[in-house]
Amino acid sequence: MKNTRWILGAVLTVLAAFAGITSTQHMAAKASDQPAAAEVKIDNFSFGPATLTVAAGTTVTWKNNDDVPHTVVSDDKVFRSKALDTDDKFSYTFTKPGTYSYFCSVHPKMTAKIVVQ
Amino acid sequence: MTVNPFDLKSALLAKHAQHVVLIHFPIALFISSVVFDLLAIWNGSRSLSKAAYYNLIGAAITALAAVITGLLAWQLQLEGEKLRGNLRLHLGLGASSAVLIWLLAWWRTRQERADSSNLALGYWALSFIAVLVVALTGHLGGILSGVEVPN
Repeated sequence: MKNTRWILGAVLTVLAAFAGITSTQHMAAKASDQPAAAEVKIDNFSFGPATLTVAAGTTVTWKNNDDVPHTVVSDDKVFRSKALDTDDKFSYTFTKPGTYSYFCSVHPKMTAKIVVQ
Repeated sequence: MTVNPFDLKSALLAKHAQHVVLIHFPIALFISSVVFDLLAIWNGSRSLSKAAYYNLIGAAITALAAVITGLLAWQLQLEGEKLRGNLRLHLGLGASSAVLIWLLAWWRTRQERADSSNLALGYWALSFIAVLVVALTGHLGGILSGVEVPN
């Protein structure tokens, strides 16, 4: 009786693990079908997160949640937004790996970076 | 991108910073001019009236620098894009403030040349309108620059 319980427990554990792996693989396959996306929030005169790491091909969208206009300008002029009013968005797709530092040209003390792997 | 406030070269070469720095001069000089005029009436002092006049001339000169650097900031930092919202409102109010200060300076200069110390009612009305417009422009500029945080 004791052995039967152990065997039953082991079988259930293996089944659960198999189900978990299959589900993870399914989710990963589903995610890879969709283009990668990430968001940076502009709030209280700062970019959040200050450093965002993404895979090449990811589209990053900045959304201005502040009541004052901000811009998103890369140090090396790779991308540049117009002045974003409240709730305005700006998107850019990073195709090449590297570190992209950027700032707000209206408030240059606002800085952050995107790390593309 | 952080600028050391004691680094003169960085301060002078920063494309937008001059407007934020210079704008305080016309605001302070113009408001001082109106205050001196009021004190001159209170005291009947010709010296205070002269002080008001020279403050107004200073405001008119520095307003020109503020307008030029403000327009340069628009062209350099925002690449002259079509402005919307608070930025456009700030531009409109700032231009109106400068025009009002220059108009008052011209009016006052004519009066000084005529050696008349009595200011016309129209001059006072225009002065108080200008104070309101300058205050509103400065308040909006403070919010835009991040010095003032809106509720």
